Amino acid sequence: MMTVKDAPAPVAPVRNLELKATALLVLLVLLVVGSALYLMYARGAFEPTQRLVLVADDSEGVVVGMDLTFSGFPIGRVRRIELGEDGKARILVDVPRRDAHWLRQSSVFTLVRGLVGGTNIRAFSGIMTDPPLPDGAIRAVLRGDSTEEIPRLVAATRELVVNLTALTSEQSALRASLANVQATTEKLQGPQGAMGVLFGDDKLVRQLSAALARTNALLARVDTMAVKTDTQVFGTGGVLPESRETILQLRALLGDARGSLQKVDAILVDAQAVAGNARVATTDLGALRADVEASLRKVESLVNEVNRKWPFARDTEIKLP
Amino acid sequence: MIAHMSSDGARTLGRTVLHWLVDWARIVHFGAVIAVLALSPSSYARDNRPAIARQVVQGTVPEVWWFTLLTSLIGLVLIRIVVVTALSYGLTRYALEMVVRVLVLELIPLSAALFVAVRCTLPDGEELVAMRRSGALDALTQEGVDPMRREVLPRVLAGVFSVVALAAVSCVVSLLLAYWVVYGFSPWGFAGYTRTVGHVFDPMLTLIFALKTLLFSLAVSVIPMASALIDPPPSRSRTSAEIRGLIRMFALLLLIETASLVGNYY
Repeated sequence: MMTVKDAPAPVAPVRNLELKATALLVLLVLLVVGSALYLMYARGAFEPTQRLVLVADDSEGVVVGMDLTFSGFPIGRVRRIELGEDGKARILVDVPRRDAHWLRQSSVFTLVRGLVGGTNIRAFSGIMTDPPLPDGAIRAVLRGDSTEEIPRLVAATRELVVNLTALTSEQSALRASLANVQATTEKLQGPQGAMGVLFGDDKLVRQLSAALARTNALLARVDTMAVKTDTQVFGTGGVLPESRETILQLRALLGDARGSLQKVDAILVDAQAVAGNARVATTDLGALRADVEASLRKVESLVNEVNRKWPFARDTEIKLP
Repeated sequence: MIAHMSSDGARTLGRTVLHWLVDWARIVHFGAVIAVLALSPSSYARDNRPAIARQVVQGTVPEVWWFTLLTSLIGLVLIRIVVVTALSYGLTRYALEMVVRVLVLELIPLSAALFVAVRCTLPDGEELVAMRRSGALDALTQEGVDPMRREVLPRVLAGVFSVVALAAVSCVVSLLLAYWVVYGFSPWGFAGYTRTVGHVFDPMLTLIFALKTLLFSLAVSVIPMASALIDPPPSRSRTSAEIRGLIRMFALLLLIETASLVGNYY
């Protein structure tokens, strides 16, 4: 049985109650719908995209929703990861069309897994003048895993340490070379300096030093000779001025000789004329000689005729063969 | 004698488990009745509307300011700690993601549910117990008014609405605060921030977040009312209906939170 004492306290009336409730409801709906729209926008639901398929040997570390970055800026999202027919992982990336121009046909894609943090898919476009990447392009992704590099790095480091140890050991060539260098340096600092390093033998060095000293003396004498030669050749009364005078005299003599030669030339011309005359005279002598010979032959034949007719010979005999 | 005692113990244990099961079955039944009432348009008839409106306004408006203020202050401290720590370890790119995950996804829905439970639904349950004890509910039935529609449903709806509203407002305020702490008043961090938020809220996580908030709101609204109505009168039990409702509510909240964590991170 309800009594006045047990009844709940009367509720104070609220003004515009239903209006306030409706406003609250509308505000909440707006808030929730707005948040949902913002989340959809944040996840790229309202952006036109193009598809890029990256093929990797191993998709470890790749998760749906992770970014594809270009120069550190996210330009795409991984939408799906599937196993291809060839057993390779196919990473399907949605790239918004407004960012797609960063990707060119020559772009390179890498999948890098760091020591700390997640895996990163990065794009590199070296030649921005190349044609843009078409929708649905399939590209292989290069894997650069820093943790995979560690064993190789350790092996290389070990090899390096072994080589270093071999290089610096007691019997190593490097140590011997260094010892030689040290000995050489000591020699260089010694009294014989670099000469001692070059020739080694002390006797040879001494001979060389003596030869150098003699060469110096010789050079001094040559120098003196040069001074004397200078005086004798180029000095006053030296060879050169006298030669110059002789040449002048020779030039005068040559002038005279040229005059004499001209005279000889004239004489020769005269002689040539005389010779010409002599040649003519010689021609006339030939004719004369022929005439004389003819006369002599006639005389001979006349004598023979006389002899035949008048035998004056004492012993005429006829010799028979 | 020992056999007698052990059989007594087993009987007591069996009775306790049976009671526990029966109680939970009644709570589930009560929840189902409330769900049916909440989904049936006749519950929002002109006669019931003022009661619903009053409960919703009185249960939400005073709480939303306080709760937003408190979560802003605590959130500011948490965001600052996370950002500074991440900066010192060189992990700034993960700072924002961690803030969003820890604060928005995990802390705010749970704290909103607890705040509403303490400030709104537990007192409402107590009020119902008082009304039940005083016979006011019976009186309403005699007057031809369904007490479930007039007194219980408005309180449950107010609790659900309040939790959702508080969580939504605080999440938005916390996201704005996180942006402010990381980027200041510069608008140039918006694209990167939006991308990070979009990265955190993938569809599965968003679904779990929404479901978790809804289940929290139902748990803190339904269980105190159910405990008030189905438990035996206080004179017959060692613990009061409020305490039992509180324990049940905490257990359910813990269960929901664990399930959401499993869903998110496994």
